[in-house]
Amino acid sequence: MRTYLYDGNFEGFLTALSLALDSADSCAIAKEGAEEAGLFSEFVNSGTDPLRAAAARDLVERRGSAESWQNVRYAFLSEVPGSETGILEYVKLLAAKGPGAENMLADDRVKKVHALAGKVGGETHRFMGFVRFKELADKTLYSKIEPDHNILALLVPHFRARLGTFNWVIHDARRNNAALYFEGRLVYAPLDSARLLEDAKEAEVRELWRNFFKTVAIKERINSKLQRQNVPLKYRKNLTEFE
Amino acid sequence: MDLDKKLEILADSAKYDASCASSGSDRGGAGGTGAAHMSGVCHSWAADGRCISLLKILMTNECVYDCAYCINRRSNDSPKAILTPDEIAGLTFEFYKRNYIEGLFLSSGITVSPDRTMELMLEAVRKLREQFRFNGYVHMKVIPGADQSLIDQAGLWADRVSVNIELPSDKSLRLLAPGKTKATVLTPMSRLADRISASKDERRSIKSSPAYAPAGQSTQLIIGATPETDREIIKLSEALYDKMRLKRVYYSAFVPIMKDSRLPVLLDPPLLREHRLYQADWLLRFYGFTADELLDEKHPTLDLSFDPKTVWAINNLHLFPLEVNKAPYEELLRVPGIGVTSAKRILRARRAGPLSLDDLKKLGVVMKRAVYFVTAGGKYAGLKKESEEAIKLKLLEHKNPNGQLDLFGEKALMKEGLAGTVSGQL
Repeated sequence: MRTYLYDGNFEGFLTALSLALDSADSCAIAKEGAEEAGLFSEFVNSGTDPLRAAAARDLVERRGSAESWQNVRYAFLSEVPGSETGILEYVKLLAAKGPGAENMLADDRVKKVHALAGKVGGETHRFMGFVRFKELADKTLYSKIEPDHNILALLVPHFRARLGTFNWVIHDARRNNAALYFEGRLVYAPLDSARLLEDAKEAEVRELWRNFFKTVAIKERINSKLQRQNVPLKYRKNLTEFE
Repeated sequence: MDLDKKLEILADSAKYDASCASSGSDRGGAGGTGAAHMSGVCHSWAADGRCISLLKILMTNECVYDCAYCINRRSNDSPKAILTPDEIAGLTFEFYKRNYIEGLFLSSGITVSPDRTMELMLEAVRKLREQFRFNGYVHMKVIPGADQSLIDQAGLWADRVSVNIELPSDKSLRLLAPGKTKATVLTPMSRLADRISASKDERRSIKSSPAYAPAGQSTQLIIGATPETDREIIKLSEALYDKMRLKRVYYSAFVPIMKDSRLPVLLDPPLLREHRLYQADWLLRFYGFTADELLDEKHPTLDLSFDPKTVWAINNLHLFPLEVNKAPYEELLRVPGIGVTSAKRILRARRAGPLSLDDLKKLGVVMKRAVYFVTAGGKYAGLKKESEEAIKLKLLEHKNPNGQLDLFGEKALMKEGLAGTVSGQL
């Protein structure tokens, strides 16, 4: 079997996707250095070819729909091992059957990509709630997140719409990447650690919030299992009220 | 008293209000801070598993009334506190910009008079909107008995407004809430309903006209403090949805915080009953059921062992099994184990080809319940001779694989996903 390797970027992935779609044999796609690439595969480095990437996108939108393209983007951002080959199988099905394939919800190829995209959309919505900012001495709002999926770019429009009058940073510490919003302009930059000087009032506001959080629980209804279902332990270390 | 202590007292006294939704509004726009999200956002979940989406506080826990069920009753000599409009607006803003919350839920005990209370609450929300230019979500309680012009203002500042009925009948109100009657609660409610629908009509023709409580109106009923049956409660909710066009009715299991000879002695809040009422409420709002279909005069009580849709289906076996490849959406919704999402998926998936029983599972249908009520391509995998009793026994087996009955405890609740029904988010 042949495995197309890509550099980890979306454009590189789309290049690999286009190459794999052109191949008559059954293929796989994997990120360079990914362990699941397999020992007995023939490896091909895909490189990045903007024309091929655009052709792959065009195919998805033409044979599928805008929804299909969103599913591909979201499933890619899941970063779940095997998602790339899952997307390949899904796009092959779209290419063969056309837009109707999107309705084949019980088909494993469709179901897999829909499920991956659903996880990414779900975690994005969760983090609209779970992002916690601290105010720094220069009044910048800083938040550290460690989501399972690469949702930073999906989160940003939400915070841009509501915190447009502030300067803020959302730092994905798991991927050493940050969205920096400064005076109305947005940039993404690698960021591995940040030295933070908190605003003098910060500790006081944090204490108010923690106390509020503790107080609102009705003790006759304590249900930590339900709480764990809604706020999984893995997310708690970056949540002010659980710190 | 410092702010921390005040907040503690006023959050503690507000927490028995079940409403937590931050949905139904898409306020926002240029300048200012904040926006509302149509489907609402939960920010955290407290130790009782309830979602936290708003800074839910009372302006004050002082009260001129002496309602038996209420923690803030006049005769309760717990410490009293009051927050100024500036403190409320400032606190909301500080919490909001750190993304702790979606906005403010402001309620209050009655200080001095209903009018004075309402004026101060309006002042807090007006400050938040005008001074802080805050576009996040605001849920405001309307104080029964306040002047109509004050009540009218609430909907201009808030996304959602609510008046709590609390006790599901006039008789119970008179007994436990001297100073309140059905009329004092329903008058402001219907006034708000009129204003909300008038504003909706106006905005249909003139888009720029101001929204009046765009996220609508809700209310709350306390469950188990008084003798009303589930049928009476669900009939009341149905009327509130149909006639007052309420967005939500919340049910709050009575927590006996206060001792009073007029109140029942309960060991634990009736959580399972509350859960069943939420399920029945969901059936009214999203599944096309009527109250009379779920409960009649001979059976006025929701079954605690089965969800109300399963009970309805077992009592109407002559309508089943349903062929999933042909049945319309409205009928699919009535199958136990098929929800709104899976019914929509069935409609979509069968456009691509006929569905088998195995496919249903992949679409998210809960087959252990649905299996008795559906066929796929004519195939049926339920019981050979279907009968009410046989299906009930089978369903019970699934609930209690170890043969132990735990119908009233936490386990049964958890299995059925209590989370979905009390969160208030959709």
